[in-house]
Amino acid sequence: MEKRNSLWDVFQKKNLSRRSFLKTCVAITGVLGLSPTMIPNVISAAEKRPLPPVIWLHGHECTGCDEAFIRSQSPLASDVILNMIALEDMEVIGAAAGEQLEHHAAEIMKKYAGQYLLLVEGAVPVGDNGIYCVVGGKTFEESLKEAAKGAAAVIAVGSCAAWGGIQAAKPNPTKSVAISDVISGKPLINIPGCPPIPEVLTGVVMHYALFGEIPPLDSKSRPKQFFGNRIHDTCYRRAFFDSGMFVEKFDDIGSKAGWCLYKVGCRGPEAYNSCGNMRWWNGLSYPIQSGAPCIACAANDFWDNDQFYQRLPNIPVPNTIASADKVGMVAAGAVTAGVVAHGIASAIQHKKHQEKEHKE
Amino acid sequence: MKRIVVDPVSRIEGHLRVEVVIDEASGKVQDALSSGTAWRGIEVVCKDRDPRDLWAFAQRICGVCTTVHALASVRAVEDALGIEIPKNANYIRNIIFASQTVQDHLIHFYHLHGLDWVSPVEALKANPASAASLQNTILEKYSLPFSGPIEFETDAYPKDFPKATTVYYKEIQAKIKKIVDSGQLGIFSAHYWDHPDYAVLPPEVHLIAIAHYLNMLDRQKDLVLSHLIFGGKNPHPHYLVGGMSCSISMNDMNAPVNTERLAVVDTSVNLGITAVNYFYLPDLLAIGDIYAKAGLLDGGGLAKERVLGFGDLPDETYTGTSNGSYHKNLLLRSNGVVENFGQGVANAVYHPFEPKDILDPNVITESVEHSWYEGDADIHPWKGETKPKFTAPKEGTKTNWKYLDENGKYSWVKTPKWRGKMAEVGPLARYIIVYTKVKQGIMEPTWVEKMMVDQVDAVSKLLNLPPEKWMLSTLGRTLTRGLDAQVFAYVNKYFLEKLIKNIKSGDTTVANMVKWEPSSWPQEAQGVGLHEPPRGGLSHWVVIKNGKTANYQAVVPSTWNACPRDSKAGYGAYEMAMIDTKVKVPEKPLEILKVIHSFDPCLACATHVFNAEGKQIAVVNTDPFK
Repeated sequence: MEKRNSLWDVFQKKNLSRRSFLKTCVAITGVLGLSPTMIPNVISAAEKRPLPPVIWLHGHECTGCDEAFIRSQSPLASDVILNMIALEDMEVIGAAAGEQLEHHAAEIMKKYAGQYLLLVEGAVPVGDNGIYCVVGGKTFEESLKEAAKGAAAVIAVGSCAAWGGIQAAKPNPTKSVAISDVISGKPLINIPGCPPIPEVLTGVVMHYALFGEIPPLDSKSRPKQFFGNRIHDTCYRRAFFDSGMFVEKFDDIGSKAGWCLYKVGCRGPEAYNSCGNMRWWNGLSYPIQSGAPCIACAANDFWDNDQFYQRLPNIPVPNTIASADKVGMVAAGAVTAGVVAHGIASAIQHKKHQEKEHKE
Repeated sequence: MKRIVVDPVSRIEGHLRVEVVIDEASGKVQDALSSGTAWRGIEVVCKDRDPRDLWAFAQRICGVCTTVHALASVRAVEDALGIEIPKNANYIRNIIFASQTVQDHLIHFYHLHGLDWVSPVEALKANPASAASLQNTILEKYSLPFSGPIEFETDAYPKDFPKATTVYYKEIQAKIKKIVDSGQLGIFSAHYWDHPDYAVLPPEVHLIAIAHYLNMLDRQKDLVLSHLIFGGKNPHPHYLVGGMSCSISMNDMNAPVNTERLAVVDTSVNLGITAVNYFYLPDLLAIGDIYAKAGLLDGGGLAKERVLGFGDLPDETYTGTSNGSYHKNLLLRSNGVVENFGQGVANAVYHPFEPKDILDPNVITESVEHSWYEGDADIHPWKGETKPKFTAPKEGTKTNWKYLDENGKYSWVKTPKWRGKMAEVGPLARYIIVYTKVKQGIMEPTWVEKMMVDQVDAVSKLLNLPPEKWMLSTLGRTLTRGLDAQVFAYVNKYFLEKLIKNIKSGDTTVANMVKWEPSSWPQEAQGVGLHEPPRGGLSHWVVIKNGKTANYQAVVPSTWNACPRDSKAGYGAYEMAMIDTKVKVPEKPLEILKVIHSFDPCLACATHVFNAEGKQIAVVNTDPFK
């Protein structure tokens, strides 16, 4: 690759029409959750912005995030991989292996120093000098630090890279940590989820490719457009929560009727993610829609916030002394609901704080 | 003599390194080692958790084998607690399993293994008109006319069908040309595209296969829509101890499962059948026929000597695994060990393998002679010493390896053995076991087993080779995986029909909640969950004490296949298959990648078992079934 191409360059090179380019831009605008008035900006960005070379590293992970990535519907996986980014090093689907692959990756890092996007899937085991994950004869910790040096930005793909994930759950036998504990001084985007929703993953990559900058982030480095609300806030079963209509036991009458899963452990109230609004695979479903309580798989330390079927701490409901069991007895208006949600969030914070103190 | 290292082995799950010593004159592999180079410790993390949560933890062993470990886990916990799941839950789990098998095999063939056989560079040499014509020939010559019992055919016509027009192949070729010319090869970068094996197939086959590579990349997700409907997401759908959480109702607007949801699943199931019958199998058989005619049938290795399986697909629900109920109505009775298939099915030796055997310290053992742990005795997995002992490589340092030490320790994978011997697992193993059991009159075949035997006989006829000649090779491992996909495409439909019929009869139950509360559990209980996921025989083991997980163990397919050698039992399956492979260009070991990929390696699965702290994992020094 001699020069970096913009998306429009690529479309021209591949003999794709202007019309198909524009259609892609419109689709992207939708995926990114931008308003239609932004379409001209997207088109302009896609015409001018060069495609960043992408390097995707794997540490302590299960490859579920790669699988999620290739499930993306809009944009389609093939379009992302072949037309929209230059995926130069990717062990799971890349053809090359071994020395040739390592050599190629080193060349890319040198040639595009300061320009490539580094995607990292998996946690970093730092115990015993990093020997629990050795790739190409070197520890993952070392390879990651090396690759991060020349990266324009780093994306932590999935909960393992963002927080440490399952291998970092108690007792964390390999002393696994989030990538942010190992690398610093680079713009970082966390895309947590176990795995993340495919379109969230490709959406963030596309945002960077199109606008040449990382999307607006919250205090935990998560893109606001995908992690700005809790699942509880956008859940289609929210009305049942507000009305106090709960599943009491799996496969009971409430389960069949699709009532709120809060009492059987749903973590929706503490789960910042797009499952409620976007759902999985262009709106097809998400765990709650399939009757399963959310386990907040995008939350930090969610693995140690078990047991999963135990409900979150009782919610103090405004204007009554009732717990969630009695929520149905009060008229739950929008304002009340907001306060209730706030109450839950505080309760969780409180619990976490207590746990932390206990640990110390 | 030349020592070649391939690390990382790409297009697999996890971190695998292989080293081969090649005699440059003959191309013969003199020695080969396989090393799992990462360990995460999921089972350690499982300890002390609520047994009802375990499926979520265990499932994260692997995201490629998603659902696989969750299913084995809930089966183990249900066995321990004596929970019989409802009929619907059994059907739904089998649908999730069958969808997974079809999708996993198809992705493996096109997107992980495919580029070992076909090349975008070769595709450029194709004549598009000839490719279109060849596509027609392939569809006519290389289809297998078998199907499962379908009572209600819902698919009006094959929605996805290979395009066999000149213009289509011209377009595809033009796009490939642009990619190659631009120098932006991306995922196609830096591979050995000039390897002579890419010339085995005519350019038109390359073009067709690359077109289908792209086509299927965008269709594979639609093969597992059942995971979204019944489990809410993929990867990592949600399970429930006691059944499933996706309640069924035709009376409620918001029910997780209703007619519309079943229609989504049905569409996906139908796609599985067409994708396998019109894309996957014809492409695979066409490539296989050319390779078989070219005499490229090496890489059989350990499969010639010994294969192992556990059996799966309970046709109806069962009361437990440990009590033998699970094995009583399986559609796929691949449980057993078959030795000596290399001498032909008549001379093959079948050994039964039952749940009680797994407890027997004389049947399953593990050795750590060449694994980074202390100890040298062969011991039952649940009595295993698990003190890590990471040692330096032969050349290089502990954190910067040149060559690993084949005479010392060199992998995080342990070496499991059956009666002191190595065994290969996977679709090939399933086919060998079922074929042997049926042909030797050991069992009357179910419809699944009959279809498997018919497929093997049909492929033998097509290739004009006896089964042991084509099956026991790199190609055979890949071909039987494709056959497996066809069977499971129909298994998918079969269980969806059973589910619908049962709902029609008035039964909408999906969960047995009688033993949901820990207060209803015994103080101490233990159980096993068996499964035959895409990569072969899997077992999960759980010990529950006072409502918590006291011990959790998984004996995983890729551990059997990827394990290091043993001074008494010989080489592991990957190692033997590599030694049984000829390499034409040592510094471009395409054949090594191909034979390793034929196992569909999953290293996160293989290397998750051991406790880094050097403590025994939970109660590993006592038999969990005492």
